[in-house]
Amino acid sequence: MPTAASSTEQQLQEVRRSVRDVGHLIAFRTHTVRRPRSFATITAVFVGLTVAAAGVPAFVDGAGVPRGYALDAVVVLPSALAGFLLLAIASAIASGGGRELLHREHAVVFPVSPTTDHLGALLLAPLNVAWLLQAWILLGLTSYGVGRAHLLTAEIGAVIWIAAATAVGQVVAWTVEAVRRTTHGIAIVRGLGLALAAGAVVLQLSNHFGDLLDSLQTSWLVVGYVDGITWRWAATIAVEIGVLVVGVVLGAVPAHLAARRAPRDEVGVETGHHPARRLPRSPFAALVRTDRGSVWRAVPMRRGVAVLAFGPGVVALAGDLDWPQMTILPGLVASGGALLFGVNAWCLDARGGLWRESLPVNAATVFAARAWVLTEFLLAASLVTMVLAGLRAGLPSAAELTALLCTWLVVVLQVVASAMHWSQRRPFSVDLRSARATPAPPLVMVGYSTKLAVTTTVTGLVFSGLARVPFVEVSILVAAPFVVWSLIRLLHARDSWTDPVQRARVVTTVAG
Amino acid sequence: MISPRAVVDVRSLHVRFGEVEAVAGVDLTAYAGQATALLGRNGAGKSTTMRVLAGVVPPTAGSAMVAGFDVRTRTLEVKRAVGYCPDVGGLVPRATPWEHLQLSARLRRLSSWEDRARDLLERFELGDVAHRVTTGFSHGMGRRLSVCLAALHEPQVLLLDEPFDGVDPIGVEATFDVINDARSRGACVLVSTHLRELAVEACSSVLVLRGGAQVAATTAGEMAGEEGARAYRSLLD
Repeated sequence: MPTAASSTEQQLQEVRRSVRDVGHLIAFRTHTVRRPRSFATITAVFVGLTVAAAGVPAFVDGAGVPRGYALDAVVVLPSALAGFLLLAIASAIASGGGRELLHREHAVVFPVSPTTDHLGALLLAPLNVAWLLQAWILLGLTSYGVGRAHLLTAEIGAVIWIAAATAVGQVVAWTVEAVRRTTHGIAIVRGLGLALAAGAVVLQLSNHFGDLLDSLQTSWLVVGYVDGITWRWAATIAVEIGVLVVGVVLGAVPAHLAARRAPRDEVGVETGHHPARRLPRSPFAALVRTDRGSVWRAVPMRRGVAVLAFGPGVVALAGDLDWPQMTILPGLVASGGALLFGVNAWCLDARGGLWRESLPVNAATVFAARAWVLTEFLLAASLVTMVLAGLRAGLPSAAELTALLCTWLVVVLQVVASAMHWSQRRPFSVDLRSARATPAPPLVMVGYSTKLAVTTTVTGLVFSGLARVPFVEVSILVAAPFVVWSLIRLLHARDSWTDPVQRARVVTTVAG
Repeated sequence: MISPRAVVDVRSLHVRFGEVEAVAGVDLTAYAGQATALLGRNGAGKSTTMRVLAGVVPPTAGSAMVAGFDVRTRTLEVKRAVGYCPDVGGLVPRATPWEHLQLSARLRRLSSWEDRARDLLERFELGDVAHRVTTGFSHGMGRRLSVCLAALHEPQVLLLDEPFDGVDPIGVEATFDVINDARSRGACVLVSTHLRELAVEACSSVLVLRGGAQVAATTAGEMAGEEGARAYRSLLD
C-alpha cells in the first residue's frame, strides 16, 4: 500500500504553506513599520472613510427612492462596477503584477513562493489611491442608490465585487507579465496595449463604449443587490464569490509562470551599452545628465510615465473633454509622475549616494539638478497628456489656454516642492530596478498620493473655473501666489538639503 | 631625516546617529607617503570615520583635519583633496563606469583625464564593461570600479573603505598597485578593512578600533604573521 503523499496532497500542502507565509510576511511588515502610532491612525482613518462611504450616503435625503439622483446612481452602477474591473486590470498590469509584500532584493534569502507573492500583491492592491477612490465611489453610489432598506445586503455585494474584480485584475496582470517575459513578449504586450488603446478610442468615437460596458453584464449583479435578502441576491453573491475564488486561485498559475522567466526589460536595461558622450559643459549639466540617466533607464519609471502620459490623454481624447475640464489633467499626471520616484528623489543614487556626496560640488547645485530633472519629467509627461486631450477640443480661447498653462505650471511646482520636501524629510533605501518597485513603503505611498491628489485636484478645479472667465489676467494673477508659495517650499527643502547633518542622514539612509 | 607630514589629523572624534554612538573618541594621525590601515570588527566605527574624513558625514564632536582643512567648515576643499571608495556599493545604479568617471572629471575640473581613466579601467579589468550600467555588476566589479573612481584624480588623500571585500586576486593586486602609486607620489592612504593579512601587506602602520574607539596604534610588522594574528585577536575581544 503506497504511503507517500500524492501530488494533490503535496500541492495542497504547498498552498497551505504559501498562505501561512503571507501571514508571516504581513506580521513582519507591520512589526517593522517605522511609526506604529501613525500606522494605526492612518489605518483607522481609512477604515473610517470606507465605512462612511458605504453608510453615510444612504442617510442623505433622497437616497434609495426610485427617482431623481438615487435612480441615476442605480442606473450608473453597472458601468461603475465594470469601470472598477478595468481599473483593477490596468493598475495591476502597470505595476508589473502588483506590489511586493517583501521586496525582491530582501526576499531572495527566503523561500517565498510565487503563490505567496501573488496573494501578497492582492492584499496590497488597496494601498493605491486610484483603487481606494474608485472603491469609495462604488460603495457610495451603492449606498445612495439603494438607501437604508437594503443597505447591508447591497454593500456586501459591492464589497465582494471589489475583491473579485481585484483578483481578476491580478490574473490578467500576471498573465501579461508572463507573456512579457517570453522571447518577443515585450513587442507583443506593447502591440496589444496600442491596439486596445486604439480600440477604446474607436469605440468611444463611434459611441459604442457604453455598449461594451453593458456587454459585461454587470447590470445582472446590480439587479441582485437592490431587493434585500432574496434567492436572486444569494445567487448574485454566490457568483461573485465564485469569481473571487477562481480569480485568487487561478492567479497563482501565471504568477508561477512569470516567476520562472527572467524580466526581459530589466535585463535589457542592465546589459545594454550606452556609448560615451561628450563631457558635459558644466557641473550642473553633468549632474543633470547623471540624474536623467537614473530616471529614464529605470524600468518602473519608463513604464509608469508611458501609462501616465498616454492613459489619461487617451481617456480625455475619448471623453471629448473641453478646455476648462482639461485643467484637471496636469495635476493628475504630475502627481502620478512624482509617485514613480520624486517623493524619494535621493533614492535614485541608491548606494552611489555616498560616492556622489564625496564629490566636490555645492550641495545647492546637486539639489537644483535633482529638482530640475523631476520638473522636466513631470512637465514632459503632462504635456503629452494635454496635447492628446486637446486633439478633439478645437482651438482654445486665450482665457482657456492661459488657465491651462497656469495650471500646468502651478501643479508641477506644487508637486515638485512637496516631493523634494518629502524626499528630504523621509528618505528610504529602495532599489528601483524592478517594475514592481515603489520609492516608499505602500502605506506611505497612499499618504503621499492622497495629499498630492487633493492638492492638485483642488488647484485644477480653481483654474477650471477661471478658464470660463473671459480675462486672461485673472488666471495669471491667481497663479502668482501659488507659484510663490511653491517656490518658498522648494527653497525650504533646499535649505534643509544644504545642512550637512540633514544631508548625511538622507545619503546614509538611501545608501542602505 | 625629515619626519613625514601629517595629512590627516583626527582628535577625539565622536559621531552620533540618534541614540547610537558610531564613533566614540577616535584619535588618528596619518602621514604623507604612508599607508595606514584601520582594522576592527564590524561596527567598530571604521566606515563612519572614513565617511567623516571624506566629508560625507559631519562629526558630532572633536576635530578632523584633512589636507590642512577642517572637515566641518572647509568640506568642499576636503572633498577636492580626497579620493573616496565607500564601503557599500558606491556606484550610481543606472550610470556606466565611464559616466561615473566623466562626472568625477567634470566636478573636479580635470583635464586630459581620459588616458588615465582608460588605464585604470584596464588595470582593474573593467575596460569591456566601461559603457554598461553598473546595476548588473557583481559585488567584486563594483568594488574594483569604486577604487578606480577614488584614484582617478590622483588625490592627496586616498580613502579606501573595504576595497578588498569580495575582490578576486587580480583586483587585489591592482588595488595594491594603486596604493603603492599613491604612496610613491606622496599621498596619504587610509585603508579600512577587517582583513588583517591584506592590511599589513598594503600598509605600513595599523590602527585598531573597537566599539567606536581606538584601542591600538602599531606598525604593520607587529600585526603580521601568527604573532600579529594573536595580538589582533586579543585586541578585538
